[in-house]
Amino acid sequence: MAVSGLLQTVLLGAAAAFVVFAVVLVYRIMAGPTMQDRVIAVNGIGTNAVVVLALLAAALDRPGFLDIALVYGLLNFLMSIAISKFSVERGGVI
Amino acid sequence: MTSEAIVLAAVLTFSALGAAAAILLRDVLNAIIAFAAFSFGIATVWVLLAAPDVALTEAAVGAGITTVFFLVTIAKTVRPGGERLFERIEWRSVAVVAILSGALLATVGSLPAVGAADAPVATSPVTEYYLANAYSETGVENAVTAVLAAYRGFDTFGEATVVISAGVAVLLVLRQEAYV
Repeated sequence: MAVSGLLQTVLLGAAAAFVVFAVVLVYRIMAGPTMQDRVIAVNGIGTNAVVVLALLAAALDRPGFLDIALVYGLLNFLMSIAISKFSVERGGVI
Repeated sequence: MTSEAIVLAAVLTFSALGAAAAILLRDVLNAIIAFAAFSFGIATVWVLLAAPDVALTEAAVGAGITTVFFLVTIAKTVRPGGERLFERIEWRSVAVVAILSGALLATVGSLPAVGAADAPVATSPVTEYYLANAYSETGVENAVTAVLAAYRGFDTFGEATVVISAGVAVLLVLRQEAYV
């Protein structure tokens, strides 16, 4: 199914907006002040990544991009768990 | 400017800020978190450049595996402490990086445009030979796989050797009791 011009513009605009949200979250990673702030921020960026990749898959009419969104969603969860476990147990990652 | 170019500009801005955070943050754990965020920007850039296989690799390696490897590494080593949030900037290193980046950027102008019909890769007789003979000569169903595994077999063999050596080295290091 081909995506019409207007719908494509709207989808790409939404993707750009979500990327801007991710840029705002980079400020939280830089400023902190605690480790928990940064973990939540990087988790939020990963969630944004899933949304952006899904929007791009719809806008560019490439369903294969959804696989990347799935992989990113799964590994984003794993990454947050690993960082949280590391900061709680001081060294226990796996 | 097309809508795709706007998304690309936003993603590149994000990548630049994430990379700056990863470089400048003093604490190693903070830098690892910033680097994981940076990988999102790069994966999306690959998607926008229509390279989903590279994007998939970047998503798997950048977000998941390298973060866990880095965490294991700093769990086994000593982290530099200190009160500062950001690293001090070494201006001599900045100058070296600026010169190298300038030299690399100077070559961009001589690259053919994306998808250009007269690009060397499209007009070269080597490309025509591969497209005409790859399936019959190698018996592989995919032309890219045929080039990687048959025509460039020694190159791929060398890459596999490097990966195996690195894996063996990591296993040896992780088995040691003391870390200097």
